[in-house]
Amino acid sequence: MIWVNAVIQGLLLGGLFALFACGLSLLFGVLGIINLAHGDLAVLGAYVAVALLPSVHTNVLWALLFVPPLFAVFGYVSQRTVMGRSMRSGPLTTLLVTFGLSVVIQNALLEGFSADSHSFTLGALTTRSLHPASDISLSWLRMGILVVAVLVLVVVQLFLSRTGIGRQIRALADDDEAAAITGVNTRHVAAIAAAVAFATVALAGLAFGTYAQFSPTSGSNLLIFAFEAVIIGGLGSLWGTLAGGCVLGLAQTIGAQIDPTFGVLAGHLVFLAVLAVRPNGLMPATVEA
Amino acid sequence: MPDETLDPGEISPEHGQRGDASGGISRRSLVRAAGLGSGLLVGAPLISACGGLKGNQKSTSKKITIGFVTPLTGALAGFAASDNYVVDTIRGSASYSKGIKIGSQTYDVEVVVADSQSSENRASQVARQLITKNKADMILVTSTPEVTNPVASVCEQQHVPCVSTVVPWESWYFGRGAKPGDSFKYTTMFFFGVAEFGECFIPMWDRVHNDKTVAGMFPNDADGNAFRKGWPPLMKPAGYQMVDGGAYPDGTTDYTSMINKFKSKQCDIYVNAPLPPDFNVFWKQAAQQGFRPKLATVAKVLLFPADVVALGDLVLNIATDAWWTPTMPYQSSLTGQSAKDLGAAFTQKTGKQWVQALGSSYSLFEVAYNAFKGASDPHDHDEVAAQLRSMKYDGMSGTLDFTAGPVPGVAIVKPAGVQWKKGTGKFPFDLVVVDNSANKNAPVAGDLVPTNS
Repeated sequence: MIWVNAVIQGLLLGGLFALFACGLSLLFGVLGIINLAHGDLAVLGAYVAVALLPSVHTNVLWALLFVPPLFAVFGYVSQRTVMGRSMRSGPLTTLLVTFGLSVVIQNALLEGFSADSHSFTLGALTTRSLHPASDISLSWLRMGILVVAVLVLVVVQLFLSRTGIGRQIRALADDDEAAAITGVNTRHVAAIAAAVAFATVALAGLAFGTYAQFSPTSGSNLLIFAFEAVIIGGLGSLWGTLAGGCVLGLAQTIGAQIDPTFGVLAGHLVFLAVLAVRPNGLMPATVEA
Repeated sequence: MPDETLDPGEISPEHGQRGDASGGISRRSLVRAAGLGSGLLVGAPLISACGGLKGNQKSTSKKITIGFVTPLTGALAGFAASDNYVVDTIRGSASYSKGIKIGSQTYDVEVVVADSQSSENRASQVARQLITKNKADMILVTSTPEVTNPVASVCEQQHVPCVSTVVPWESWYFGRGAKPGDSFKYTTMFFFGVAEFGECFIPMWDRVHNDKTVAGMFPNDADGNAFRKGWPPLMKPAGYQMVDGGAYPDGTTDYTSMINKFKSKQCDIYVNAPLPPDFNVFWKQAAQQGFRPKLATVAKVLLFPADVVALGDLVLNIATDAWWTPTMPYQSSLTGQSAKDLGAAFTQKTGKQWVQALGSSYSLFEVAYNAFKGASDPHDHDEVAAQLRSMKYDGMSGTLDFTAGPVPGVAIVKPAGVQWKKGTGKFPFDLVVVDNSANKNAPVAGDLVPTNS
């Protein structure tokens, strides 16, 4: 039964990783940006909620109303300005720009909010769980995060495959020059993709802030798990990202069940194994239906 | 930022250059000058890069420079939350602002603050800069082995007096390669060790009806491994048995396997020494998965209000140790200010709740003052270090006796058992002394209540 529970907790943990990796996967798959500021952007999203929620005891669900939209605008603007400009100077510049962004965000948060850590509450839901069997517990919070992750990935996937702007984004991902020739406003479309990615990053930040506690420098630790989920799943594939998150979560909890020393390492080993055996990931694809 | 205070351009002219012959050379600096030869003309950065060279030529300046290394930013910044306030208070105190009178000479005192950025490399780097560029006569350092040990190592090597605090003495002593019987010449510290955790926690366990099985959550890091080894022999005489949750890596995001183990062994007591963010995740998952120890006595976490607020009502009646509270009957040896007034003044100035680090950081500067006051020449590092090793005084942290510790140069502070309770005043949670078995000076202000009944 303990092993069943380990598998269940691994899948639930995978939800958090997948939610985290979604924005990274999207930015890379569509725009080819390796966003080193990804983890810090998520933490920034959480701090926006800290700043705007009336108190630490306010239910974090209220923040869902305004943080992702704000971040969508932020994403659009930064793609039109900083990131878009850096992309024209080559991929290395973009990498450096996102690295710089990461440093700037961390230090700005330290200045603005001090190093105090914060965490969000869902009221009683934070700790309540279902116990379908004696050794199995299904935390409402962790199930909620998994559901949000699946929903976000489904909605983004549908957006990319079913809408006109989604088709333009995919065209851009395949060949930006050809897309431009056929009349796609590439800068606008790229910025829309960034807006979607940033909105999901903000969601991930809120989810993480409820799951754990965060401080201005928490972002870098998160980045590695997000990267691993994306690469295990397959670069640029959103379904792959979900699968990658779950595989990573499972590897960590099952590894820890074998020996607690082994938990995080097991995740890294699976990641290395995937890189060695299937360097394109479990579900290799560019973003497509 | 503190970096700017480390600028070599700040060195005042009266410090003189290395080997400046005009000011009367001591025997030691003469010997060293002979050894270094023309190397003395090389700039300070190169000298510090050489590492092995001693950067403490005896200064003849009329100024005493004290370096203070603390993790103002980064993962450990919670420990340093009150340090800027303490430095301001110290700089404003008459003992420091009017200079220290030694013999017929009054020396101005400059306190240079350096941020370790919670990084070990950065900590030793700023220590070197303080020694070579600022010509620090003493370095004070606080908050966890990750900051204190690299700084103390540099100071020992460079023969600069150094006082550390907020680090378990075992981590500070054995962590720097000392073996029983060894003693450090230039570096001392005050705080407590694993034995004091036992003195503080075990009486609290005894007061809660339980089956004497203790869950131990210790990560695979310096503190975690020290506690994993240290706890079983401490608790055995009292009849307790430890269940080790396993040496998990810092930053683990899921604790299911550990919680399963604690549940299956029916642990009633819980002890730990994790990083604060990891405890937040663990404690939420423990609640989700139904691990409810009767008494949780935590170390290294929930020391400061910020982490407590982040965990919300889940912290109620979690017990921990306190090395300083404003309710302790202590007073400053510099100004006579009481512990209570220091806590209140901090809250008034910053709007934040008092933190334990106020007392320890404050005492660093008391120790420094006493050492300089007792020396005939504040720039003679050997003499100042001898003052440090033999110091005994009463101050903001109670009686500190550096001669009576478990190893030379360590003064033991006895912690009090405290629990987090619902706040009665301005702040959401209060830290209340519930057990003073280890430190009778701390007045008991509340009942010990089981964490989970």
